[in-house]
Amino acid sequence: MTSELLSGFRMLDLADEKGALCGKMFADMGADVIKVEPRGGCSTRRIPPFLDDLPNEDRSLYFLAYAAGKRSVTLNLGSPDGRALLADLVRKSDFLVESFPPGYMGSIGLGYDHLAEINPRLIYTSVMPFGDKGPGSAYKAYDIVTWASGGPMFMMGEQGKPPLEMSLPQAGLHAGAEAAVASLMAHYPREIEGVGQRVVVDMQACVVWTLMNEQAMPIMHGDHIRRDGMYHAAIGARRKLVYACKDGYISTLLIGGRGVGVISMKGLVAWMAEKGFAAEWMANKDWTAWVPGILMKATEEYFREIVDLEERVQRFFATMTKREIYTEALSRRILLAPVATAADIAADDQLKARDYFVRIDHETLNRALTLPGAFAKLSATPIGPVRRAPRLGEHNHEVFHELLGIDGARLGALRAAGAI
Amino acid sequence: MRRYALEGVHVLDFAWVGVGPITTKYLADNGADVIRVESLARPDVLRLAPPWKDAQPGINSSQFFASYNTSKKAITLDLGKPRARELVLKLLPWADVVAESFTPKALRKWELDYDHLRAHKPDIVMLSTCMQGQTGPNAMYPGYGQLMAALSGFYHISGYSPGAPPCPPYGAYSDFIAPRFAACALLAALDYRRRTGRGQYIDVSQYEAALHNIAPALVDYFASGRVLGPRGNRSERYAPHGAYRCADQGSEERWIALAIANDDEWLAMLSVFGNPPADGRFATMAMRIEDRTALDEFVGGLVRGFEARSLTAALQAAGVSAYPVQNCLDLHHDENLEAFGFWHWLDHKAMGSSPYEGLQHRLTGTPGELRSPAPTLGEHNDEILGGMLGLDAAEIAQLKEEQVVF
Repeated sequence: MTSELLSGFRMLDLADEKGALCGKMFADMGADVIKVEPRGGCSTRRIPPFLDDLPNEDRSLYFLAYAAGKRSVTLNLGSPDGRALLADLVRKSDFLVESFPPGYMGSIGLGYDHLAEINPRLIYTSVMPFGDKGPGSAYKAYDIVTWASGGPMFMMGEQGKPPLEMSLPQAGLHAGAEAAVASLMAHYPREIEGVGQRVVVDMQACVVWTLMNEQAMPIMHGDHIRRDGMYHAAIGARRKLVYACKDGYISTLLIGGRGVGVISMKGLVAWMAEKGFAAEWMANKDWTAWVPGILMKATEEYFREIVDLEERVQRFFATMTKREIYTEALSRRILLAPVATAADIAADDQLKARDYFVRIDHETLNRALTLPGAFAKLSATPIGPVRRAPRLGEHNHEVFHELLGIDGARLGALRAAGAI
Repeated sequence: MRRYALEGVHVLDFAWVGVGPITTKYLADNGADVIRVESLARPDVLRLAPPWKDAQPGINSSQFFASYNTSKKAITLDLGKPRARELVLKLLPWADVVAESFTPKALRKWELDYDHLRAHKPDIVMLSTCMQGQTGPNAMYPGYGQLMAALSGFYHISGYSPGAPPCPPYGAYSDFIAPRFAACALLAALDYRRRTGRGQYIDVSQYEAALHNIAPALVDYFASGRVLGPRGNRSERYAPHGAYRCADQGSEERWIALAIANDDEWLAMLSVFGNPPADGRFATMAMRIEDRTALDEFVGGLVRGFEARSLTAALQAAGVSAYPVQNCLDLHHDENLEAFGFWHWLDHKAMGSSPYEGLQHRLTGTPGELRSPAPTLGEHNDEILGGMLGLDAAEIAQLKEEQVVF
């Protein structure tokens, strides 16, 4: 069932991959999200890979994931009739999200100032790769370029090799989620005072925000972090973050400290001792005070201990599988995690116990697809995906006829004129 | 129109470390009154984490903590003590929202969990966020964002080639995904409450929120059994696509990221380099994708002598998507972040003046901002216990003596 949380609110979604997640989150929360697509379809329909590797406008996995729950209409914004129809839709909508190059919407008469005259309640959210004021406002920004501009790329990869991005580009997802937050931020006062506003999301800034505040290091400590492969790079010490095991990798940061840190280290050392992998010095170590390289400078002695510990843990983990290690760690409260693949995630007991994944019927593809479920569990108004991604223009009739009241003859004429 | 979007919204914030405080920071920077409840009995671990003022640790010297707790006030209450609980219940009528991010058993132990709080305030909106959610076999398993990023699949899609070891994204990556989801749930729930009078409980699993950022790979696996793995910077849509080394700057490596989506952009890129004799192997997208190793070498050779920043300007002027691969210091000199007004200088009580990351969005009608630097531990004890709760100086002194206020 569609969520009650945002039911009754409507969003026009004119965003590509720089903002697709925004509308998806709104749809999950129960809003009526209408994707406004050009004649050939939104570019997100052409993002590979495709379901079963069959390229087709309805089979992009990206689109299937991030257009779920949206309706689709086709509108030619290049034609006056198409623009007039968008204005009609704006009258009946609460939110609009777009990610065109800055200035484009204004140049075709669909900028905020104009649409706010039509509907003063409108919240108009623009996702911009490099804002709307700097020299970069005119820049072309594919995802890897924004990722590079914001800092995380420099810190990902091995020394001496090129900086990396992930196999699934991330910058647009951060921007899309931020657009959802900012739109709802403007929604709160709008519902009280009746006035909408324009919202700008800066994609580069969204990427910078993922750096865990490392941007402050050069200011406060005089140097910046450099990428170090499978090590957590900290100034003055490298700490191993990934360990090979029998069938893949395990991630952990071997540090003590108060509370759960010391419980974890004691638990790991005890387990290693049982299996004959612990060194003598580890048995009576005060792990509460052992946080070198993270919370304290690593001395020569600490370096020897770090290297010995990390090597022994590596030999120990190499004897077991991801699942064996994680299962034991859960019961001993040792802080680690498998470097999970999609297959591991699909089989995870915790997600199963919480009924996380959702199966959605795609009668258009003659099958059901499984999607990530609710991004939050809400007690009074549960949310989550309930409908599949739309076919191109699937809801033209519903939206133009039922919502806007355009009759069949006029629709035919608009179609013939290329507006729809 | 009001000055800030969330003027008049009141938040009681028990959250600590990353996801919780970052979520309530959204509200605080946009005008909500947020009171953090902390205690020296269990200090927020970020208060002890670097970077520190003058590289010296101290409970009020962490710029890390300060970055995620701007615009908030702070009191100290040792929630393990019954008298502290009474004071929380006295503050509760004031609050619209309660947020917390302990492992699920903590608030139950102190009888401050949702069921207890709503008995006192039925329409409270409460957010709990922890690693893997409030229920299920792993609910009590503690952790941190680096581990959740591994568990939610990001490490496995980070590396140079299929089968190569992971090169994880930096830091506690999922800590910077979940807050945006949590903030949306919270803001929507707050408005739902305003419309209907109904409060509710929000359970955000950092893990489950993060999985939304790899959704296509999960849909694919469930449908076809295909597992997405590491593949360097290779893309099915762009060629070339990656980071290429430019002229070094002193001892610092300099790289440029660029991506070419079609043959027109490829020709535009070549024109920037004076139309070198590009060998016919790379004329079409299909050909460039076919021989990416040679393509990367070719492009690497073209950019090697150039300065990354001026090359970016030249490429972008020709319609080619490119940008320097920036390090953390570069960000402070980035003209686009500057133009957006991203950096905010704040004068912190214990740390003095330094730059902080600002908001990543701008509400043009009711812009949020970093309204005040993060509070020192218990900075507002007297103001809130005295002013809001009406305790007199002697009572407050007594509570400090008994380490209830601690």
